[in-house]
Amino acid sequence: MLLWLLPPVAWFSVFILVPYAMLFWYSLGHTEDMRFVPGLSLANFARVFTDEPYLGVILKSARIGLMTAILSAIVAWPLAFVIAFHTRSASVKFALYLLVIVPWWASYLVKAYAWKTILGTNGILNATLQGLGFTDEPVRLFLYNEFSVVLTLTYIFTPFAVLSIYAQLERIPTSLVEAAKNLGAGGWEIFWRIVLPISVPGIIAGGIITFSLAFGDFVAPVLVGGSDSVMISNIVINLLGVAFDWPMAAAIGLVIITLGLGLISLTGWLEEKTKVRL
Amino acid sequence: MTTGIELRDLRKRYEGHGGAGSWAVDGVDMQIGRGQFVTLLGPSGCGKTTTLRMIAGFEVPTSGQILRDGVDITDQPVTDREMRMVFQDFALFPNMTVAENVAFGLKTRRMKGRFGAAEMRRRVGEYLDLVHLGTHADKRPHQLSGGQKQRVSLARALITDPDVVLFDEPLGSLDAHLRKVMQIELIRLHRELNKTFIYVTHDQDEAMAMSDAIAVMNGGKVQQFGTPREIYDRPTSRYVAGFIGHAHIVEASVVESGASGLSVRLGNGEVVRLDAPASLQRGEAVGLMLRAEDLSLAKPGDGELHGKVSDSLYRGEYIEYVVDLKGGAGTVHVHEPTHAAPFAHGDDVALKVNPAKAHVVGGA
Repeated sequence: MLLWLLPPVAWFSVFILVPYAMLFWYSLGHTEDMRFVPGLSLANFARVFTDEPYLGVILKSARIGLMTAILSAIVAWPLAFVIAFHTRSASVKFALYLLVIVPWWASYLVKAYAWKTILGTNGILNATLQGLGFTDEPVRLFLYNEFSVVLTLTYIFTPFAVLSIYAQLERIPTSLVEAAKNLGAGGWEIFWRIVLPISVPGIIAGGIITFSLAFGDFVAPVLVGGSDSVMISNIVINLLGVAFDWPMAAAIGLVIITLGLGLISLTGWLEEKTKVRL
Repeated sequence: MTTGIELRDLRKRYEGHGGAGSWAVDGVDMQIGRGQFVTLLGPSGCGKTTTLRMIAGFEVPTSGQILRDGVDITDQPVTDREMRMVFQDFALFPNMTVAENVAFGLKTRRMKGRFGAAEMRRRVGEYLDLVHLGTHADKRPHQLSGGQKQRVSLARALITDPDVVLFDEPLGSLDAHLRKVMQIELIRLHRELNKTFIYVTHDQDEAMAMSDAIAVMNGGKVQQFGTPREIYDRPTSRYVAGFIGHAHIVEASVVESGASGLSVRLGNGEVVRLDAPASLQRGEAVGLMLRAEDLSLAKPGDGELHGKVSDSLYRGEYIEYVVDLKGGAGTVHVHEPTHAAPFAHGDDVALKVNPAKAHVVGGA
């Protein structure tokens, strides 16, 4: 019987316990001449909250993550709704579902890069605007700023929001909608009073996923972000690979993980509170 | 002008793949008077639910008309019909309390201003009391039993005081005992509220016990529309005779027919007399409907039919004998009181037919 426990315990130890213990060990030390010196100091954690740019960038990353989560939910909800309620044929439903997932067969980098070619000064959007005569010279506002980062991240992570909202909407029996119509409720009333409230746990679940993924992203800021769009993962990468300040990187990592765990517990609790038993 | 609901040649076709399709409802004509309790009864796929859903407005008829108090409502949207439906799966809103569910119909935009907050609260309380759920107002649907859920669904349907209430197999997901309790409840509500109830079920006991009139449906058509007594005692077709009360039909031909009654001869030459006047051709092929409770067993020679007991089943309230008629003329079932059980498997017996209850249905 105990043999069955071996794989999970081994997995948990090798890939979770030991790495986190090491991360913690690193975070307590410091560097001298780019070399790691062990120690037992919490100074690095204090620096996360006092030294610029760490806290500022964490907050900015959180803002980008939040905006991505909100935008994804706004884009995903109607799509999930159409797939769940307005697609009668099973094959069309499957096709739409597949279309949502298909972008994930393409490389992340390619997708992020694609936005560069859409939003750039020689990009498709500017070419179209100039062609239609809306503007004489390329609009530079589209690319290399927070807007383009959020847009790219929204595009990339929306499928996660669609799937979790869809999973929730799909569980709503058609008889609920029929009952509401039968009782004299119009389309908007059904949306506001029944369908949307029941879908809230799906929105939250999708929100956690898109927020976490966007918060920790480091590709989009590099490809489509401006010089000021550095996110916290970029900082960590720099600390690790350029500055060789592993203790600081480890401290930031642990702070983010703790924040993440807190957030997940909070939203998990919210999800439980808003859950309805169908 | 007729009051109530009238269906005129109502049809609904569902298209399948590659031009294949089928008529779910194939020409239904029906008059349902105001305040009546009418049941659409039939096996699954007979078109009863589709008919109800067309009346509610959930399905658009392929052709035909639905009239309400003489006004054509065929194309009226669901939300405007103000006929309330009680669903088999209850369809309670899981994100609302019992009281909020019941109040839903009062709070829609179209109802705005018709009820003040105090009036609404009073009314919700009144209708919860009506279905004996006064103490459950703040519970969520998932905290209720099946029977309680259906009561909430009823209160929600009744609270806006609709003329017409539609029921789509509302007791289908309840257990046998609860079904009986709810049947009595529904009869009480119908009596007290004086509304038209249109009720769909496949359960003939339910239909017989509650309805003013039953429409027996099969293959998208109404086979017979009449009071439970008419349908049970005087079915007009073999289908209805076989579906209601599981009557057994024995092939026979008319010997004599007139105002004073009817005689038919079975395939084995034995003759049965019926009281009901009839005007049938001599020699015409008919089906003789023999219900278990209209037959009694006797010693050979003491009845007009003869046969052999092939099985006897103890049913508690009665013993059910399965009797093969002489000469392979057919098989009938006979209910006998349990205190007298003088016959056993293989015994030769005679059968007495109650001439007031036996009945013939036309055609071979």
